[in-house]
Amino acid sequence: MNASSITSPATGMAPLLQTQDITKRFQGLVSVNHVSFDLNDGEILALIGPNGAGKTTLVNLISGTLPPSEGELRFQGTRIDTLPTYRRARLGIARTFQVMKPFRDLTALDNVATAALFGQRGGATTRQAAREDARKWLDFTGLGHRADQRADALGGPDLKRLELAKALAQRPKLLLLDEVMAGLNAVEIDEVVEVIKQIRDSGVTILIVEHVMKAVRSLADRVVVLHHGELIAQGNAETVFQDPRVVEAYLGKRRA
Amino acid sequence: MRPRFVILLVAVTALLAIVPIVGSPVMVQFGISTLLFAVLAQSWNIIGGFTGYPSFGNSVFYGLGVYGTAIAMAKFSLPFGVGLVCGAILAMLCALLIGLPVLRLRGQYFAIATLGLSVAMAAVFSNIEIAGANIGLILPLTRADGMFYELSLGLLVACVLCVFWISRSRFGMGLIAIREDEHAAASMGVNTTLYKTMALVLSALFTSIAGGIHAYFITFVDPASAFDSTLNVRMVIMTVFGGPGTVLGPVVGAFVLSAVYELLANWISTAAALLFGVVIVVAVIFMPRGIADLAAGIRRQGISYLLQNIRRYRL
Ligand SMILES: Nc1ncnc2c1ncn2[C@@H]1O[C@H](COP(=O)(O)OP(=O)(O)OP(=O)(O)O)[C@@H](O)[C@H]1O
Ligand SMILES: [Mg+2]
Repeated sequence: MNASSITSPATGMAPLLQTQDITKRFQGLVSVNHVSFDLNDGEILALIGPNGAGKTTLVNLISGTLPPSEGELRFQGTRIDTLPTYRRARLGIARTFQVMKPFRDLTALDNVATAALFGQRGGATTRQAAREDARKWLDFTGLGHRADQRADALGGPDLKRLELAKALAQRPKLLLLDEVMAGLNAVEIDEVVEVIKQIRDSGVTILIVEHVMKAVRSLADRVVVLHHGELIAQGNAETVFQDPRVVEAYLGKRRA
Repeated sequence: MRPRFVILLVAVTALLAIVPIVGSPVMVQFGISTLLFAVLAQSWNIIGGFTGYPSFGNSVFYGLGVYGTAIAMAKFSLPFGVGLVCGAILAMLCALLIGLPVLRLRGQYFAIATLGLSVAMAAVFSNIEIAGANIGLILPLTRADGMFYELSLGLLVACVLCVFWISRSRFGMGLIAIREDEHAAASMGVNTTLYKTMALVLSALFTSIAGGIHAYFITFVDPASAFDSTLNVRMVIMTVFGGPGTVLGPVVGAFVLSAVYELLANWISTAAALLFGVVIVVAVIFMPRGIADLAAGIRRQGISYLLQNIRRYRL
């Protein structure tokens, strides 16, 4: 890694998140292979790649759901790769799960209220206050009218919105979104894109894993491409989409 | 909670409190065991109902409460209160020690590991000289059923208040999040290891005091009945019957099932256990989420709630 990537030239501040040679092996399989990139304050970085490229694994490594086999993670300049998951959440890292993990027995409101009680340090401390926050985030993600329904009564698109609302209720500095648009129709995708823009404008840094390329184009400040666990390209959307290795990764996959 | 409901609960507690004054000795003795069962179910509710960890180690906490109290009183001639504290400390230490490794296991693995522990404990105590080994210990005899009754009632009230607090607190929301999805809970900032261990320690605290009271009440303890895993099964059944993860469900479950069992045993003693089993099976089929959910469900959808449950929970 060179010096310019450690200190972002515009602000002179360290990037919000740095991954350095981060690697994850499952028995023989290398899912994430020596991946290094930076995530600057306030940007939206899209993480793309064919199925099985290692995107979700990388999100798991950053959030702490999985421990890395090798490499380092820094958040606001300090090492986080040895911290347990909950400590990273307390520092301000929130995520959604591609395989959604709603609290099925609870109402949508209490799902989000729980997130508001925890999340980054300094949030709601009473259930009452947490529920007020939760209502705000449900309205923001378009779930306000389903607040009192149990999560197991919600359909796929609403569960996606619930994942997003729960992550937002944690008041994160860094938001990791793992395919929040999968299974949504064109109208719903446009709505979520709008929501994500507003989140970014409120100062949250976002890492978005997405297969919907239209959304990637309209959101991403930068794109990072994973293939077989390796970082094969990064840059702005147009350059990356024209990179022959990226084209081959996607086409090769489609033919297989 | 509505004020009317609070008044009702206070009234019921007051009524329960005067049972030793107005009731027969048999009724008081039945009352003691029912109140202690309610404490055991409610304690199990903290780890099993709220946190989602189906503990079969609660009979270990019970047994440690029994032996802590018995050893302190029979071997060191310490007062009853000190005995209860000894039992509680033993049980909470045990919860802390086993919690850290065993709470890493989920679901049926956790259940089996804790079950193994209760079997092992019975064997350990059969070989400890100061615990009376195989023979057991005899405690000083007191004829004070009224005192045992009021103590049990007081313990139950404390336990219910504790669970009420849990159900309203950030801590309780964290436990529920762990039950619903532990990975999601951790990723939103719940210190899962700490919370689970605290839930187990709290559960051990109330369980062991119930054990201590019961030991002094029956004045005799031995390893087989102190570390009896069928007792743990009854805690589970009563909690699940009443409504796991609710504040009053386990208490209602313990009261109803104790009464049902007592009635059956009086009328047809031989078939009581069988009929008791039938009641449980029917209950689990028609109201798998317990009495607490049944009450809300019937109010919402009437009798079709029962049928809908069959559809909802079939494989
Ligand atoms: N817990 C695990 N144990 C073993 N192998 C795993 C595990 N998690 C992921 N893998 C493997 O790691 C590779 C990368 O998986 P990952 O889920 O990160 O891909 P992805 O890029 O998110 O794919 P998709 O676009 O389909 O979501 C896959 O081959 C997968 O089978
Ligand atoms: Mg994925």
